[in-house]
Amino acid sequence: MEQKRHMGLKTLNRVSNTAIYILLIIISVVWLIPFVFILLQSFRVESTYQVGYVIPHEWGWQNYLNLWNSDFKRWYLNTFIIALASAVLITIIQLCMSYTLSRFRFKMRAGLMRFMLILGMFPGMLTMIILYRVLSDLGLTQANAVPGLILVGVASSGMGYYVSKGFFDTIPKSLDEAARVDGATRFQVLYKIILPLSKPIVIYTILTAFMGPWGDYVFARYVAFGTSAGYNVAVGMYSWLTNDQIARMYTTFCAGGVIVALPVTILFLCLQKYYVEGVTGGAVKG
Amino acid sequence: MKKLFAIILAVAMVLSLGVFASAAGSELAGEYDVTVWAPKAAVDLTKQQIADFNESNEDGIIINATVEEVSEADAATNMITDVSAGADIYFFAQDQLSRLIQAGAVTKLGQGAATFVTENNSAGSVIAVKAGDDYYAYPLTDDNGYFMYYDKSVIPEEDVDSLEALVADCENANKSFSYELENAWYNAGFFFGVGCHSDWITDSDGNFIAIDDDFNSDNGLIAAKGIYKLVSSPCYVNSSQTDFASGSAVVVTGVWNYATILEQLGENFGVADLPSFEVDGESYHIGSYSGCKLLGVKPQEDPVKGAALNRLAQYLTGQECQTERAASPDDGGMGWGPSNKAAQEDPACSNPALVALAEQNAYAIPQPNIHGSWWDIAKVITTDIKASDGSDEALKAALQKYEDSISAVFEMTDEVRNAFTVIGTVAGTNWDTDLPMTADGDVWTSNDAFEMEAGTEFKCRQGKAWDVAYPAENFVVETAGTYHVQLDAVSGEVSLVPAE
Repeated sequence: MEQKRHMGLKTLNRVSNTAIYILLIIISVVWLIPFVFILLQSFRVESTYQVGYVIPHEWGWQNYLNLWNSDFKRWYLNTFIIALASAVLITIIQLCMSYTLSRFRFKMRAGLMRFMLILGMFPGMLTMIILYRVLSDLGLTQANAVPGLILVGVASSGMGYYVSKGFFDTIPKSLDEAARVDGATRFQVLYKIILPLSKPIVIYTILTAFMGPWGDYVFARYVAFGTSAGYNVAVGMYSWLTNDQIARMYTTFCAGGVIVALPVTILFLCLQKYYVEGVTGGAVKG
Repeated sequence: MKKLFAIILAVAMVLSLGVFASAAGSELAGEYDVTVWAPKAAVDLTKQQIADFNESNEDGIIINATVEEVSEADAATNMITDVSAGADIYFFAQDQLSRLIQAGAVTKLGQGAATFVTENNSAGSVIAVKAGDDYYAYPLTDDNGYFMYYDKSVIPEEDVDSLEALVADCENANKSFSYELENAWYNAGFFFGVGCHSDWITDSDGNFIAIDDDFNSDNGLIAAKGIYKLVSSPCYVNSSQTDFASGSAVVVTGVWNYATILEQLGENFGVADLPSFEVDGESYHIGSYSGCKLLGVKPQEDPVKGAALNRLAQYLTGQECQTERAASPDDGGMGWGPSNKAAQEDPACSNPALVALAEQNAYAIPQPNIHGSWWDIAKVITTDIKASDGSDEALKAALQKYEDSISAVFEMTDEVRNAFTVIGTVAGTNWDTDLPMTADGDVWTSNDAFEMEAGTEFKCRQGKAWDVAYPAENFVVETAGTYHVQLDAVSGEVSLVPAE
């Protein structure tokens, strides 16, 4: 009797595992189909418009060559510059901010944090018109949209201190004190003690800072309006989707999608293990 | 050193000569930095045409143009973002005219320019650039309409004139019929085909004042039945893309897809004007909108530059440039159908798609200025018809919903607002349909005579609202018979007039 029951449990386990795996496989197939589809379409060279089949009849690199011969290079470079500059600057500013708020005690510290929290509750889109005015007066719109967009992305980044400050709070203050006693400056404490201990959160900050501008459309379109030289990939590629263009640009668009996805994918694959730690890291109270 | 001095002097002399020479040309002579927005397909040709203008114009105008790629569909959105930083000259689709006028992004044409536009261009394209009594842009094309491409291997030649036959052919061959009817630009064609109209009225500032619309009428019901015939079929696909590659045998779209579809269908390529549909034994040819691409000139602070830009715009929209654009892509053109009357008659400006468009244009309504909200309201008609069971009541309900939405957003014209209608349990309706009346002085009489049972109840109301309605209590018919309803709008007295 006992034996039989044991077997039953095992079978039950196996059945439920099988069911779960089938479900997961279905979900992952559903999730992956669009990506596979785009990848395959980007190698289709017999026609440039939408078709009713997935596997190309003729394979080739023509669509990627088209990209190379269009303004895409410029857009890609723009996007890359914006994303890279934002990633570096935002990470520095955010980490300094978090360190300051976590370790220093000064007047109005709590008030400042609360103030930024409230400011952060306003949707960024609300500021679009006035930001456009400011950028336009500075001459940072249209063809000069790249520095403009970096400025906009970086300017408010200090307000995103929550996650990393939460993480820094979990690192015992006694470590700082020990280093200070040994003669380290505040900066050395941050640089030599805190940061090495907070790798996941640093990586997380870099990733999110990089991804934001990478996919930006609304603001980028607004700032670079009507000037191809200032477009980022999202805005530029969207201009291929008009009624009279799409029949000629559809497969090229797919190729562009693949190229755009590449750096983000690579970045993720390399930094994945830190990323998962980072997302949950700030939430653990030490 | 002396030599250098001599060279400098010589250069200065030549330069001053050049200045004098050009100054002698006209007061417009000079160099102008100009930003031009043109759609991707037209960028190269536009650069070439501006270079030609620099060479050929007799005023000594030199345009240093930066030609940027901006689709004519996005021009207004981009211009309105920041007019001061926008293009000086730009291609745009005509439905954006009102927005552009309101944003101060297009120049009102002067007397001479207006005459140039009205004399040289087709009637439809002239309407498109007009707001109130003024003209605001230069027509570039008159080809923004739709017609039917079909696959000859599926559709026999004799079926192309009948919607019913086309649907049957598609169903039998298990092919799709692509017609983007869940888009007001396309579904309105059915209503125009049965004689309905929908006109927005604007003032000179481009503001919308009112709408005059009769989609919700007996004729509108016929159109709704026509739409139902297609959308209720399994072969219907709501699309205007080049769908032949994904299983369509008929696609309703425009000239911009000509080259792609020709490539897709090869020797099976077929093109025709839209078909007719039959309701109650009567045949109705499906109508359409016809529209234009326009060229706008941004108002300039410097009037001399403004005048020079208008010269350029007239050149770019003149016969020669339109003919160049009408050429096929292999010959450096885009296959755009000209609005210039002389170019329209030039056989070099034609291809099968433009011929089909011209045939369809006999049934087309020149697209006037339309309020932006209309598109979203009117497209729902098809969605509702598709969801319905096709009965008269359901179709009428869809049209009534459309009318209610329109009147909720916008006031009807004074004419509609002041008119009295009969509403009640009259002629098979049940307090849901306004039956029209016509005024003779202060006496309003119903257009139709109604067969009424004893006990039929109704009221006469003004502007399809209950603020003014007579009599105070419902009018109750005492003796059955066929009557006209008559109302004295001054006394509010309602009476029945037996029909002969």
